Amino acid sequence: MAEKLEELESFVIPGKIDIPNTYFAGLAGSRFLIELRDNRRIMGIKCPACNWVYVPPRSTCKVCFSKLEDWVEVSDKGTLLTCAIAYQPSPVQPVEPPIAYGIVHLDGADSGFVHLLGEVDFNHLRIGMRVQAVFKEERAGSILDIKYFKPLD
Amino acid sequence: MVKEPSQEHIKIPIAMSRPYRWATGRYLGKLYKEARDNKKLVTNRCPKCKELLWPPRPVCGRCKVEAGEDWVEMSDKGTVIQYTYLVYPLWDPHVGDRVAEDYPNATILLDGGVYLVHKLEEKDPEKLKAGMRVQAVWKEEERGQGLNDILYFGTIEQ
Amino acid sequence: MANRVAIVGVGQTYHKSKRPDVSQPEMVNEAVRAALADAQLSMKDIESVFVGNMETFEGIYLPDHGLADEAGLFMKPGFKVATGGSSGGSAVVEGSNFVASGLFRTALVIGFEKQDAGDTTGAISAATTPVWGKGMARGALGEFAKQASTYMKQSGATEEHAAMVRLKADRGACRNPYAHLRLGLESVEEILKSGYLMWPLRLLDFCPQSSGACAVILAAEEEARKITNKPVWIADHITVHQEPFRAGTFGDPTGLETYSEDVAATKLYKRNGISNPRKDIDMAETYEPSNWQEMMLYEYYHFCEKNEGWKLIEKGITEIEGEFPVNPSGGVIATNPIGATPVIRVAECALQIRGDAGEHQVTRDVKTAVATALGGPNWTVMVLLRRFL
Repeated sequence: MAEKLEELESFVIPGKIDIPNTYFAGLAGSRFLIELRDNRRIMGIKCPACNWVYVPPRSTCKVCFSKLEDWVEVSDKGTLLTCAIAYQPSPVQPVEPPIAYGIVHLDGADSGFVHLLGEVDFNHLRIGMRVQAVFKEERAGSILDIKYFKPLD
Repeated sequence: MVKEPSQEHIKIPIAMSRPYRWATGRYLGKLYKEARDNKKLVTNRCPKCKELLWPPRPVCGRCKVEAGEDWVEMSDKGTVIQYTYLVYPLWDPHVGDRVAEDYPNATILLDGGVYLVHKLEEKDPEKLKAGMRVQAVWKEEERGQGLNDILYFGTIEQ
Repeated sequence: MANRVAIVGVGQTYHKSKRPDVSQPEMVNEAVRAALADAQLSMKDIESVFVGNMETFEGIYLPDHGLADEAGLFMKPGFKVATGGSSGGSAVVEGSNFVASGLFRTALVIGFEKQDAGDTTGAISAATTPVWGKGMARGALGEFAKQASTYMKQSGATEEHAAMVRLKADRGACRNPYAHLRLGLESVEEILKSGYLMWPLRLLDFCPQSSGACAVILAAEEEARKITNKPVWIADHITVHQEPFRAGTFGDPTGLETYSEDVAATKLYKRNGISNPRKDIDMAETYEPSNWQEMMLYEYYHFCEKNEGWKLIEKGITEIEGEFPVNPSGGVIATNPIGATPVIRVAECALQIRGDAGEHQVTRDVKTAVATALGGPNWTVMVLLRRFL
């Protein structure tokens, strides 16, 4: 059994890891998603000490660690801060590629909001353009209850 | 006007099966090759402490030296040290479902002196006992999965 | 150690099977706020943050990133620690090392697990690579079930002894408002009637899958003495790993090899002048995932001789009113949010030393306590806590 190491083969074994998981949206997340689903409204939460509106909302201010409870409605219109276009397919995409992702600064919010961009020729996307949310007719309490953001004429 | 907070709690199921390709490396690959081609179990021996390293590997963890190529062939007979059996199905992540496996799971001490976790052919709990002698029952075809080339360990007479 | 380190505050959530009302960050936040309130500090006083968690369990890779704001990690140094079941223990060790180094005056250590989010057995079984152990791993259950069957044969412990351990755990849990399973079990017979999960483990023999978080705040000596008049000193800690594959996923379940617990206890006791553990230490909170394990751990941690663990439970020595209480909080059998569990052990020992454990305060005066953590494959972390240094 004096085989040289170089002659030994390495086997490559295909397999998978498949474990079911559930993510709980929690206090802030649930309220946000329910407002999208039931009232077609985008809600943010404000930190009074920092004077900062988070969208999507969360329960603690990261800067001053205050508990956040002041809900505010923000506009469904905003300004495009940046964007990127994905061409390669991958199993975790929400829709078929090519996909344009954008970060939108909604009117009334202070943080950026990540979502898809639609009804637009990707060659015409520009930073600073005004966009508006388009809601789906059938909504399920998911971030994808907003179909995408389209350009505002 | 903002509505009062709702008591509904949203939960989002995540069902994402992630595909992988695991390389055995050349040392474990030697075990895979012998199992596939010759239905034999082999492992390597540390040049310093002379312990059998199981599974075969590049380094002896105790001596911190390169394990080398001193390959030893081992008997596929052994003794059951301890065993257990499933009463109801548990999730197996490599299958992606609950598995109600009816073969008991056992820790077996092979005659070569190494321990192995595998299944037992004997399903009757009354007949299972620590100390019973067992031998590997190999798959006749489609080997190449290392220890999974052994279907289970069947009981043999003392 | 360069700097002496003390625990100046502890906090935990009410551990439950499911917490659908909170997201992971919100759940962690509850424990953090409780610890800050206990120490009477604010997030501004925290200089580093450590999070212990087993991330496969919630299906979220890099859980500390999502938690950053709610855990106070924003703009602060710190990181996630993942060492299996001992994650929380390793996080305490990390936090303690940062403070002991003299570079940081305080550290916030958080352990959490939101087990309603995933499948525990599935996640643990994913610890085996399919190139070694595919289809053989039955999670922790399989390994602990086999250990129990060997222990019965080797030591003479019976299923009645295991049931007595379960009763002790439930008694403690019923006196601990934060515990998860508070069943009001009344007799050994009641327990022996429950069905087998994986022989010889019954449904009641194994820890639950809990969702919860626990946080402790560590401070260097100078700060600690300013913050509280009841600092609990981390006198020493030790971590020992063991090679995992000798006989399966969880090290050597046959009991025929040296366990990492044995090595850890020998070294820790020697360098702290502990020659008679049941006398020199006043109580212990161990990481025992099943009642059978608790009896075996008594032996591995040198609380008694080999094969005599079951005698300690038979004689009532480890009860809350006993001569050497073990797991007065109900232990892991009653509450097990895995990432949080070792931090809960440390927090419970701290409460006992402070005399603040309420209804589950032990009768013996606790000046010295030991908290342990167990990580598959057989990692051991032990933390020695003292009222005075």
